[in-house]
Amino acid sequence: MRRSPFLLFDPSLDNSSSRADSEEGGMAVNNVQTESSPFYDERMGLNSNLLTGPVTFEWLSQAEDARLNGSSDAFQPFLDKAAQSAEAAMNGDHASSRFSVINEFNIWRQKPELAEAVAAIKALTCVIRRSEATTMMGLEIELKKAAETLKMWDKTSISLSAGCDLFMRYVTRTSALEYEDISAGKSRLIERGEKFGEISLKARQTIANLGQEFVYDGSLILTHGYSRVVLALLKLAASQGKRFQVVCTEGRPDNTGLEMAKELMGAKIPMMLILDAGVANMMGQIDMVLLGAEGVVESGGVINHIGTYQTALVARSMNKPVYVAAESYKFARLFPLDQMDMSPTPRIVDLAVPAQEENIKIQTSERDYTPPQYLTLLFTDLGILTPSAVSDELIQLYL
Amino acid sequence: MVGTMPDVQPLVDEFITKLNRRQVEGSLDTAKLALVLLRQVISAQRIPPNSPANTLIEAIKSVGVRMIAANPIELAVGNIVRRVLHIIREEDASLATTVVTGVTTAVDSDDEDNLDIREQASSHAVAAANRSVLRAPSLHNLLESMPNPIRADVTVASTGDSDARSRSGDKNSRSWKLKHNVIESINELLVELQDYHSQVAEQALEHIHQNEVILTLGRSRTLLHFLLGAKKKRSFQVVVAEGSPRFQGHKLAKELTAEKLSTTLITDSAVFAMISRVNMVIVGAHAVMANGGVLAPVGLHMVALAARRHAVPFVVLTGLHKLCPLYPHNPYSLLNDMKSPSEVLDFGEFSDCLNGATGGPQCHVFNPTFDYIPPELVSLFITDTGGHNPSYVYRLVAEFYSPEDIVLQ
Repeated sequence: MRRSPFLLFDPSLDNSSSRADSEEGGMAVNNVQTESSPFYDERMGLNSNLLTGPVTFEWLSQAEDARLNGSSDAFQPFLDKAAQSAEAAMNGDHASSRFSVINEFNIWRQKPELAEAVAAIKALTCVIRRSEATTMMGLEIELKKAAETLKMWDKTSISLSAGCDLFMRYVTRTSALEYEDISAGKSRLIERGEKFGEISLKARQTIANLGQEFVYDGSLILTHGYSRVVLALLKLAASQGKRFQVVCTEGRPDNTGLEMAKELMGAKIPMMLILDAGVANMMGQIDMVLLGAEGVVESGGVINHIGTYQTALVARSMNKPVYVAAESYKFARLFPLDQMDMSPTPRIVDLAVPAQEENIKIQTSERDYTPPQYLTLLFTDLGILTPSAVSDELIQLYL
Repeated sequence: MVGTMPDVQPLVDEFITKLNRRQVEGSLDTAKLALVLLRQVISAQRIPPNSPANTLIEAIKSVGVRMIAANPIELAVGNIVRRVLHIIREEDASLATTVVTGVTTAVDSDDEDNLDIREQASSHAVAAANRSVLRAPSLHNLLESMPNPIRADVTVASTGDSDARSRSGDKNSRSWKLKHNVIESINELLVELQDYHSQVAEQALEHIHQNEVILTLGRSRTLLHFLLGAKKKRSFQVVVAEGSPRFQGHKLAKELTAEKLSTTLITDSAVFAMISRVNMVIVGAHAVMANGGVLAPVGLHMVALAARRHAVPFVVLTGLHKLCPLYPHNPYSLLNDMKSPSEVLDFGEFSDCLNGATGGPQCHVFNPTFDYIPPELVSLFITDTGGHNPSYVYRLVAEFYSPEDIVLQ
């Protein structure tokens, strides 16, 4: 794997392989050095000294970070271990409560209507509710730790880390600006966290409203993968009496496109299912491409289900508009330069490989990065944006 | 629905009839006329003491919707209506914050510390809320968006202790002040519109250099001012495509020659042959859409494509009154005006093409007024506030229009 200076995440492949080597060599796992990525470290450092001002906080947070990294069992790529270490870290603070932010997050994630970022924010809200911190700073440190564990749990999830960052940013600003009294600040944060589910649903509605204008009678729309926002948009357009057809891709490897197709069938929207490989074949007849996004990055490009990039490329080469519908909480402070800048998913991608050919090499990317020049417009709850507007929004938030 | 005063009604009707008959042409003139009319509507509007801003907004909207319907192609009307609505909202919000701070200073003298602190805190909250009302939604205020306006109940609470007479006087002066401020801002906007040509022309020297060759198609008054602005210090050549079927390029060529600019007139079909010798294409526009796309006289899309083929910068002169907060959902069918076929074919020839037996035409004439130029073909917008990239247009839209006004009715 190529090593670029702009790597967004730890190349987890590198990590796990080096771990495997060391284990084979009979070395203790605990000797492996802490592996939180320099990118995240730098980012957290940057965030903390912006509005909070006093040097003491930075010092405290650094000390806390050091403690967290020291006590926990370094980075574990496997989910259950990460959950354990998160729990261990939490118990280091107050042994009385058996509470894990990851479990909480997983409970919220089960709900079908909740996006991952919303689940993350809900889980962080639970952390606030259970917190016994007596100062805002203490609370903030606790939250920061919880957010870090969440991000560690699935390093590849953009929306998870974007949701955590957004909420942490809000917490930092709240504690620094408005509330002197811890209980008032806490209840305010909890209230906002609880409301976030509503906010996200409202965002979806706003996007559907803005985006349905672009669907016109007789149009043929190509989607790729499953997206709740795109679905809401199409349903709204259909409910307004617009007559259009949708072409869904199959969405391998997890067949999310099939899911989308079923939902559309349920909504009585005429649709057609094609192979992922049939996108270019269909593109000539398509009027517009409408995509969801897992994360929207600083360049204005999107990270989404694999196959999005090639869909956008084909659409561009045939001069078809490519629209992306995404809520603004999916905006992430990442700047991938190419596909190699994203770490591969830890999940096993199910390729149809015959049993006798098991030592065949398999590339297991589950999502890809689509650069901004292939996107026409982004439909977000902040309005309809050009890709270059995304970095503008992110700069406003983090500078 | 609040009716306007009777003496404005005939003026509104007259303007709408003119728009209907296409007797008002050119987006600048239309914008000016519409703005003056809206100013009259505001000054004639009787404002009730409670919710003065809403009354004004309703009045403007009811007139605005009719004006837009009268000529939906002339987007400048809608732009000006939305601009005025935004001005009203802005002035109302700034008045609300000053009123609240006034109240806190009044309470200060009451020697009640508890109340004082509470009031101050709430005034901060209200000020913040008002600011966030005006601000376009952003990631910044995503989590703190307040669904219920606190503004209303605070003003009720703050006026509760003063006696009724002074309250009504206060209210009247506030609604009077709102009206006054709105009209003031509209006058500023009107001055802005009047200065538009000179503002754009001032920037000409930065864009046109010595001995350059500039190509344009058709005629636009802004363009004429721009070229003459550059002519003060530079000598350059202008190639004018005639711009069929209205042939306004002929008029521009005459005007330029009269000003002693070296001018070459070509046919529209010769644009591609000429474009490789050209340094820059400068054109006027009918409207700029929110995505950075341009509505311009017919033929310009072709010129833009030719310019792109030879990597020649394609520069569009436009004013902020042409900036439309709408997106071209389906530009080819929605935002166009079909002109009379007689511009393309003489009636004499045209009658020969008619089928004598049924009277039905055998030859179809298609004469659209506008081209839609997608944003990726535009290199630069030169406006009265400076040069902007097409991808920056969304910012201008967010700055000059309130999101709730984008869809009227």
